[in-house]
Amino acid sequence: MVDLTADLGWAKLKNPVITASGAFGYGEEFLPFFDLDILGALVLKGIYLHPREGNPPPRLCETPSGLLNSIGLPGIGADKLKETIRRLTERTRTPIIVNICGEEDREFLEVARVFDEMAEVSALELNISCPNVREGGKCPAQDRRHTYRLVRRIKRNIRKPLLVKLTPNVADLSSIALSAEDAGADALSLVNTFLGLAVDLESRRSVFANFFAGLSGPAIKPLALKLVWDVLRHVRIPVIGIGGVVSGKDVLDYLLVGASAVQIGTVNFSEPAAAVRIISELEEEMEKLHINNLTEIRGKLQT
Amino acid sequence: MVDERGRIEEIRDFGGRYVCIKVRAETIAAEAKPGNFVMTRPVGATDPLLRRPFGILKASGPHIWLYFQILGKGTAALASLKPGEEMDILGPLGNGFPEHQQQNILLIAGGRGIVPLFFYAERFAGANSIHLIYGGRGKSDLNLLAEIRSLPLKNMFLFSEEGTLGKRGIATQEVEEIIGDQHIGITFSCGPVPMLRRLAGMLHPLPTVDLVSLEAFMGCGFGACHSCVVKTFSGSYRRVCVDGPVFSLGDIAWSI
Repeated sequence: MVDLTADLGWAKLKNPVITASGAFGYGEEFLPFFDLDILGALVLKGIYLHPREGNPPPRLCETPSGLLNSIGLPGIGADKLKETIRRLTERTRTPIIVNICGEEDREFLEVARVFDEMAEVSALELNISCPNVREGGKCPAQDRRHTYRLVRRIKRNIRKPLLVKLTPNVADLSSIALSAEDAGADALSLVNTFLGLAVDLESRRSVFANFFAGLSGPAIKPLALKLVWDVLRHVRIPVIGIGGVVSGKDVLDYLLVGASAVQIGTVNFSEPAAAVRIISELEEEMEKLHINNLTEIRGKLQT
Repeated sequence: MVDERGRIEEIRDFGGRYVCIKVRAETIAAEAKPGNFVMTRPVGATDPLLRRPFGILKASGPHIWLYFQILGKGTAALASLKPGEEMDILGPLGNGFPEHQQQNILLIAGGRGIVPLFFYAERFAGANSIHLIYGGRGKSDLNLLAEIRSLPLKNMFLFSEEGTLGKRGIATQEVEEIIGDQHIGITFSCGPVPMLRRLAGMLHPLPTVDLVSLEAFMGCGFGACHSCVVKTFSGSYRRVCVDGPVFSLGDIAWSI
């Protein structure tokens, strides 16, 4: 029997497989497919204070081994999410992480406070990296100082652990990661989607109303893996790897470069019970490689 | 709703890139109701990345039938499967049409929009008084005629733009007369957006109850990805997969 426990310092998860924000709805959508208790943790769809409509369709475009999305963070708002979380905790004991959004710093803080007060919530993930909300894909996590200021302000006002989800659409991700760490982040979620563009030859316009969109799926895995590796040369806090995880082997790849856990995203859409398969593949893969626990592989990449 | 592995028993090529697949998927077949759909892919296929949504044409015993047009990579991959091969089928999904109705019903189908309406007619013709308008560009868009003729429909009105089958014209051109002549109380429609938009304008002043089944490109099919949205007159987006695919025709803002 292998030990799948993933140690994030401030929490020990039963395994390193976490469902990613934006790709797991509000959790309830997946109840018909599997027992959510099997997950290491789950991150809910990003939430603002008030309900939002999101971007005009089309919102998706498939690319080879990838998926461009411009969903634009539609959502039910904080009040309704609180009710959803209460219902969800009647069905699962898996740690729930709330992905916090905001139009401006003040809203981020307000939303963070709402969910910091909920006993049912294990941690918060600060979404300062969504490329689909502002024009040109701009977001706070593209600026080192803004990242520091916002993370510090929120960290001072909450008690729960704070994950900070960063964007790969920057020249130097490590410096942003360091700013988040210096400001008190408890972990980093790396990475959000890569900005991409798809065009329509007939209309000679972007496929998307918001022009750019965010690329996810297996296509981005080598890029994300490299960024996780880069950032871990600089920070000490745990990093959660995100990007194209579709198999047990992918989980081990991220662990080998130093990630403490992973989040699975796009694969949940085409295979709603993907987490079940990935966790069992992870176990088999570890047995095959004679790895007894995650510390035996984590960060052991030879250079 | 289950994610079932279905075994293909029969694939029928209708020409014109239309294909009908008979697949054994016991749980989905038992639960399926007219207007439901499924998300499918060849077993474990990851190229393309997402499954494709298809309306259910018919469900009987342990089988469901899917009828679709080959439009791209995903549909081509499914159409190239052979009997005995398997597909991942998630379903039944969506709200579906209301079942028993006292009033006379008019089904208005454009091209492959016949799919959910055929299922409704197949299940309720006889018990309900059902009339059908079926329109397409030409003969090759109007398949399934033998199957439709075997149903106890009150009337079938055929239209083709090329004039190769039935009357020359489009599906909507005699809708108002048919509604008046046949004392229609309810319409169910499915077809291309221009047809539905025209229909919404024509039916708006009439006292009929009008429902429409929409088609959309979908990420997941079960409400998690929020990609298949359609705008309503209230200004809000609704997800075609879980809030639909059947909507009130008058609620849809067709400008988008």
